Amino acid sequence: MSASLLSVRDLRVGFATEGGLVQAVDGASFELAAGEVLAIVGESGSGKSVTAGTIMGLTRGANTRIDGSVALDGRELLDADEEELRRIRGARIAMIFQDPMTSFNPVYRIGAQVVEAIRAHRPQVGREEARGRAVELLGVVGIPDPERRVDRYPHEFSGGMRQRAMIAMALALEPEILIADEPTTALDVTIQAQILELLREINRERGLATILITHDLGVVAEIADRVLVMHEGRIVERGSLDDVFYAPRDDYTRKLLGAVVRLDRAGPLRPARSSAPLLEVTDLVKHFPVRKGLLFDREVDRVRAVDGVSFSVAPGETLGLVGESGSGKSTLARAVLQLLAPTSGSVRFEGREIAGFSRRQMQPLRAEMQLIFQDPYASLNPRRRIGQIVGEPLRLHDRASGAELRSQVGELLERVGLAPEHYHRFPHEFSGGQRQRIGIARALALRPKLIVADEPVSALDVSIRAQILALLSELQEEFGLTYVFVAHDIGVVRQVSDRIAVMHEGKIVEQGPADQVCERPADPYTQALLAAVPVPDPRESRARRSSSAS
Amino acid sequence: MARFAVRRLAGAAVVMFAISLIVFAIFNVIPSSDPAVSLAGKNATPALIAGITEEWGLDESLPRQYVTMMEKIFGGDLISYEGREDVDERILEGVPATFSLCIGAAAIWMFFGILFGYLSAVRSGGLLDRALTIVAVTGISIPVFWLAAIFLNYLTYKTQLFPSGTYVPFTESPFEWASHLFLPWVTLAITYIGIYSRVLRSNMLDAMKEDYVRTARAKGLSERHVMTRHVLRNSLAPIVTLFGLDFGVLLGGAIVVEGVFNLDGIGLYTFESLINQDLPPVMAVVIFGAFFIVLFNALVDIAYAYLDPRVKLGESAQ
Repeated sequence: MSASLLSVRDLRVGFATEGGLVQAVDGASFELAAGEVLAIVGESGSGKSVTAGTIMGLTRGANTRIDGSVALDGRELLDADEEELRRIRGARIAMIFQDPMTSFNPVYRIGAQVVEAIRAHRPQVGREEARGRAVELLGVVGIPDPERRVDRYPHEFSGGMRQRAMIAMALALEPEILIADEPTTALDVTIQAQILELLREINRERGLATILITHDLGVVAEIADRVLVMHEGRIVERGSLDDVFYAPRDDYTRKLLGAVVRLDRAGPLRPARSSAPLLEVTDLVKHFPVRKGLLFDREVDRVRAVDGVSFSVAPGETLGLVGESGSGKSTLARAVLQLLAPTSGSVRFEGREIAGFSRRQMQPLRAEMQLIFQDPYASLNPRRRIGQIVGEPLRLHDRASGAELRSQVGELLERVGLAPEHYHRFPHEFSGGQRQRIGIARALALRPKLIVADEPVSALDVSIRAQILALLSELQEEFGLTYVFVAHDIGVVRQVSDRIAVMHEGKIVEQGPADQVCERPADPYTQALLAAVPVPDPRESRARRSSSAS
Repeated sequence: MARFAVRRLAGAAVVMFAISLIVFAIFNVIPSSDPAVSLAGKNATPALIAGITEEWGLDESLPRQYVTMMEKIFGGDLISYEGREDVDERILEGVPATFSLCIGAAAIWMFFGILFGYLSAVRSGGLLDRALTIVAVTGISIPVFWLAAIFLNYLTYKTQLFPSGTYVPFTESPFEWASHLFLPWVTLAITYIGIYSRVLRSNMLDAMKEDYVRTARAKGLSERHVMTRHVLRNSLAPIVTLFGLDFGVLLGGAIVVEGVFNLDGIGLYTFESLINQDLPPVMAVVIFGAFFIVLFNALVDIAYAYLDPRVKLGESAQ
């Protein structure tokens, strides 16, 4: 290994808050050599992003306390002035971020934003020349037709293209170090695979040293040379990729590795159900009209969000519904529950046709079918107490009131792993995992038969995710629940589902028993989806790469 | 873009039509007394009232009455029976004074509103921010008529630094035009400077938390570049909305400022007509004012498309 390019020594970063000093990074030390890929792994709040931001000098502020040392080629950055740091940012250390949707300024063209980065460091470069360079870079990162795309606005790019453009912008000044902060977290898995391949290629061809910050061990296994594991501001484990995956020394690392959902790890096998289906969906269609016109709108096109979907779910069974963003899976979930009126098709619940039911007709049935949402932050009213949130369905359906209501809510809270004392607290006092438990308690309150869970764990850290999945399956056993489990992550879906349906462009392209769909996929899209899932196993991912290269 | 502009302006025309119906209803349909009596003014003779009834077709059907009224307002033969003069002509005479007042004041308040808001946001929490906050809140709180009186008393009568009100046409003497309008401009602008700087400050503080601002810093832009090109530029949309509304309202007559400074504009005419219970001018001024409000609202929406390319014009994919 060559001499270290970046050296971080005993870095401590604290933020002064009303509740005292929060020590986000607590004595982190590591080296980055030229040309290597170093992954910093951790869950939310581990201090990994703060570490990266501090290297760039982006966390400086009146309330920040920074100690230790960050040296680039021997030059100390922590006491560099703003102008010196500005010269380094973008030119010597470039950074890309998690959400390509919000990381570009929406009001400027993509090309203008790349040009701006170039001219900030090389004012002598003319606009035309810089634009030419932007076109060339967009080509390098694999954006088709860069000459035309360079003048497009960010919202005209897809998520994957935006992340490519972000990488192009980062490469503009040929930096020595690239810091990638969760670069693929917001992307679909097939797009994630492409972006990881691009990062690998850039690292290989340009020898660009890369710090990859991620919570996803699968992504780490795909790309990293060395790994640091961070937990509560400290580095708890460090070593080569294989050391960390196959011989972890720290308990937290072992826990993290154990919590990873693996595609080849199936859920418990249960006997196939033969009884009459609880939910039967036939030829369900939901189209959204696209309207246009000079003075009056007329329909010129339709978005076929759900385009003739059929499936059925037996009582006590879990059907996993997998698809990437835009596949129509969330629209399907809402159309099944009649939260969106289907355009056509049939939805039978316990043999009874409910498609096209009015709100009033659905009202008594709402108790039987409940929804769990993705975002545990946005789906709980921040101004209401937990007891009110969980008790609301009981009140609305006149199931209980007064002391009876309180005792039922208390039981529900206990059942999902919270304490009855939490009754009077507000949502913001809880962590993401606890909030998802509150959402589950609310869905359970009316003892429904069917629960549609729309991405219930995708906003959660891996260790919390495992707990919530375990809770869902316990509850299924206990209450005989039937789940429709909607998710983009086929690994998670496999772990909980008896059967899986794969959605693509509004249609179910394949459905069958979970093992069959995951191990012997028949449809080309399912095959591509499975191949794109990063394997949290370095040896396997190397084998897969070399076989696909040959 | 062109399609959006057409749609938006067509929408504005519909709104104008609705406003004209409401104005018609207020003057001719809702009052329980004879509209002819109200139109005639304070010193009406029975002969005049009978003439008005005849002329305005007040004994005909309502749609007929509406058409007659609009013909009068837009056709230029609306007469003030009280002042015995042509109303549309008087309004047109008032346009130079009112427009000079509004455009000058708007330039001042936009410049200082944006400057103060920007400085407050960039130095948020610091001394300058606190000082500008005090200035802004004071500006918002001072009653316009009081400020105008103070200016006139100290800067015109006692020290003679500025001439007293009255409008001098630009074509006559640009210097006199500006020096006569200076105090009215400042008086009118001060409230708006306060409001605009506060709104811009809070928009900018929100924008500073955006991911693209972090990206801009990470690519090595200077702090000033980040603040102007990324934070300020993205915070301007609400300011444009406010401006469209306020400016449209003022073009219909800045009643208080025109009144205190004796500027012979639309506002002063409105004021006098109200005092004299002279309804035909009030009718016309309401329509005239509404026209500018509706027009500027439409222009703001069209300007939005320029400020934020994500605004998908005229397309609704629900």
